[in-house]
Amino acid sequence: MRVATESYINALTSQVNALSVQMGKLENEVTTGLSVQAPSDNPDAMETTLNDLSSQAAQQQYSSNITTLQSQANSIYSVLQSLQSITSQAQSIVTEAGSGTNSQTDLNDYASQVTSLIQQAVQLVNSTDPETGQYLFGGTDSGQQPFTTTTDSSGTITGVTYQGNSSVNQAEIGTGATISVGIPGANTSGTGPQGLITDSRTGADLFNHLIALQNDLLSGDTSAISSTDTQNLQNDENNMTYQVAYNGNVQTRLNTASSFASSQSTSLTQGISNASGADAVQTMVQLNETQNAYEAALETTSRVLQVSLVDFLT
Amino acid sequence: MLGLFGTLNLAGQSLQTQMTGVEVTGQNLANVDTAGYTRQTVDIQASPDIMTTVGPEGTGSEVASIQQAVDTLLNSQIQGQQSVNGYWSAQQSSLQSVQDSLDEFLSSTSSSSSSDDSTTSSGLSTQLNNFFNDLKNVSTSPTSIAARQTLISDAQNLASAFNQINSQLDQENTSLNSSLSNDVDSANKLLSGIATLNQQISAADSGGGNANDLMDERQQDLNNLAQLTDITTSNGTNGTVNVSISGETFVSGTQVVDTLQTFDPGNGNLLVGSPGTGGTAPLALTGGSMQGTIDARDGTLATLQSSVNTLASSLITQVNSIYSTGYSLTGATGSNFFNGSDAGTISVNSSLESDPSSFQASGSATASGDNTVVLELAELADTPQSNLDNETFSGSYDETVGNFGDALQTANTQVSNQTAVMNMLTTQQSSISGVSVDQEMTHLLGFQQAYEASAELVTTVNQMLGDTLAMKSAS
Repeated sequence: MRVATESYINALTSQVNALSVQMGKLENEVTTGLSVQAPSDNPDAMETTLNDLSSQAAQQQYSSNITTLQSQANSIYSVLQSLQSITSQAQSIVTEAGSGTNSQTDLNDYASQVTSLIQQAVQLVNSTDPETGQYLFGGTDSGQQPFTTTTDSSGTITGVTYQGNSSVNQAEIGTGATISVGIPGANTSGTGPQGLITDSRTGADLFNHLIALQNDLLSGDTSAISSTDTQNLQNDENNMTYQVAYNGNVQTRLNTASSFASSQSTSLTQGISNASGADAVQTMVQLNETQNAYEAALETTSRVLQVSLVDFLT
Repeated sequence: MLGLFGTLNLAGQSLQTQMTGVEVTGQNLANVDTAGYTRQTVDIQASPDIMTTVGPEGTGSEVASIQQAVDTLLNSQIQGQQSVNGYWSAQQSSLQSVQDSLDEFLSSTSSSSSSDDSTTSSGLSTQLNNFFNDLKNVSTSPTSIAARQTLISDAQNLASAFNQINSQLDQENTSLNSSLSNDVDSANKLLSGIATLNQQISAADSGGGNANDLMDERQQDLNNLAQLTDITTSNGTNGTVNVSISGETFVSGTQVVDTLQTFDPGNGNLLVGSPGTGGTAPLALTGGSMQGTIDARDGTLATLQSSVNTLASSLITQVNSIYSTGYSLTGATGSNFFNGSDAGTISVNSSLESDPSSFQASGSATASGDNTVVLELAELADTPQSNLDNETFSGSYDETVGNFGDALQTANTQVSNQTAVMNMLTTQQSSISGVSVDQEMTHLLGFQQAYEASAELVTTVNQMLGDTLAMKSAS
């Protein structure tokens, strides 16, 4: 085929341009580590990557939620341990005071100890989450202190009132997975989460039971102490044991969810890399090949354009 | 028999013939880089014989014509491909610009604390993720003012991203209308130019002249016009070319009989018509940059705008329908979270910015720490929406981006393919019509040698005439 002079120039220019564009693209891939940057580079990979990035962001948020909830669960556990200690101490007092061998003075001393236990317990159940500042046992009514005490003129606690509600919040720890970490201070509705201090289904009513014990001690009613108060405090202890077990289950679920979110995030990172990441070795090899071709094209261009019949005519 | 004077005349005519060859070669060499130039060749033929007693005797050579080395079928193919090329090039440049406006790109960021690179996306996808993750965060700490402030700030960023994309896409629409108008203006100038060239070619043709360069210029104009819109050409009288677009004649002989014009069908998206077809009836264009621009605007861009608007309006509706049932930290209820109805008008309820506590996260007027409503809002992130083809908000947007990418990738591939086809055709055309310096130099040598030989003949005949005259003087 006859080859016109402009054909050389057009073909070589076109070739050099194409190689230059390819080289720029490969250099960009090497620099950024991405083979896909714009939707048109690879629409399917772009869509997959955006999907994965959304999922990854969600997993990271779940991890953050879980961290907050773990802190809350730990704070609750700490209170539960102290409350268990209080119920245990109350049980010891009941056992000793109910034996019928104590004088009224001794019983009055025990009553003072029970009053002190009530005060400690009230302080504990009015704890707040150090991270969020919310009351741990007020249910979802966080506007006011959950428990308040009333005392008579002699300083004896006559009542503890619950000001919270019996609801607890659910929180997302995974796609479609929620958990309830909180425990309401009291639940007398017969449904929903079991109350920490008072629950109508289990017969738990720690503060009233401790107040009753306190009053029985003051009045020297050892019969009530050894029968009613003993049984009541047993209910409270059982309820506390349930709450500790529930908290343990919650912490286990949170740990599992945390591991899952972490592994999901890692898996998604791999997916993103597979979809839109550049293969460094392959890209470098391609870049070298393209650079060689580019140099060869330039060399050819310079040589071809230098030679014509005119050079040989004298 | 020619005799000495006849032979001298033959030599002189030969000198002129070879000189014409040199001139044409010079013209070819001068235009070796001229776009659209068709190389010319001198058609030399033997002069008519004269009859002598010993038979017919030659009278030398003469230039019969100066021809263009042209393949009209190939020119026609190139003209047709120009329309296809123009169509996809317009789509590509339009959609490339839209892609920039959408601003949805991936980038990698290096963490200073580790060697790991992480991929991030710009644009609306990240804003959507941030918004829903903030809702998740508030659902975990429903009374936290700091968490609420972050949510409101990111919601404002999301609304701004919607507004910005909508504004950018509107600008792209305006820009494409403007581009269409410019194409129509350019096409009308080319139609006028072709008619004028027809006139000049016709005049040269009827006067027996050579209009090769004018025909090159007209072919260039026809190719440029074909880039703008698909055209049909037919040969007229005296070398003229008639031009039709979409079955309507626009250039007939030396006259422009109709012009292109844009008109607004009522939705602000210009279409192309002509006074000859009533002015407000769109021409059925099938190629060229005009139709490429129209298809990019009314197809991919319109679909993208519609998808983004549907996404925004769905988000507004769904969020507000849940949010309005919630209660703020102070027990207030009934407000909307988002104002507006689409991507262009979406905004965050302004009262939230100054008072984050008014965010209605709770499901109960008496339980400020309740998170029922904000949790329901957070769960929207994973809830398929019926009016988004049962995709989630993020999933729908990701699919929109993917579909847009498909359209631009198709345009890129088509342009690449068309470029290859055009390169092949122009290489073929160049092999016929292009100038080869080597070939022209060879021709030049041939003409030079022939010229020298003819000059030698003049010298010889002149010497013979001298000899003859000397014989007479001697006698």
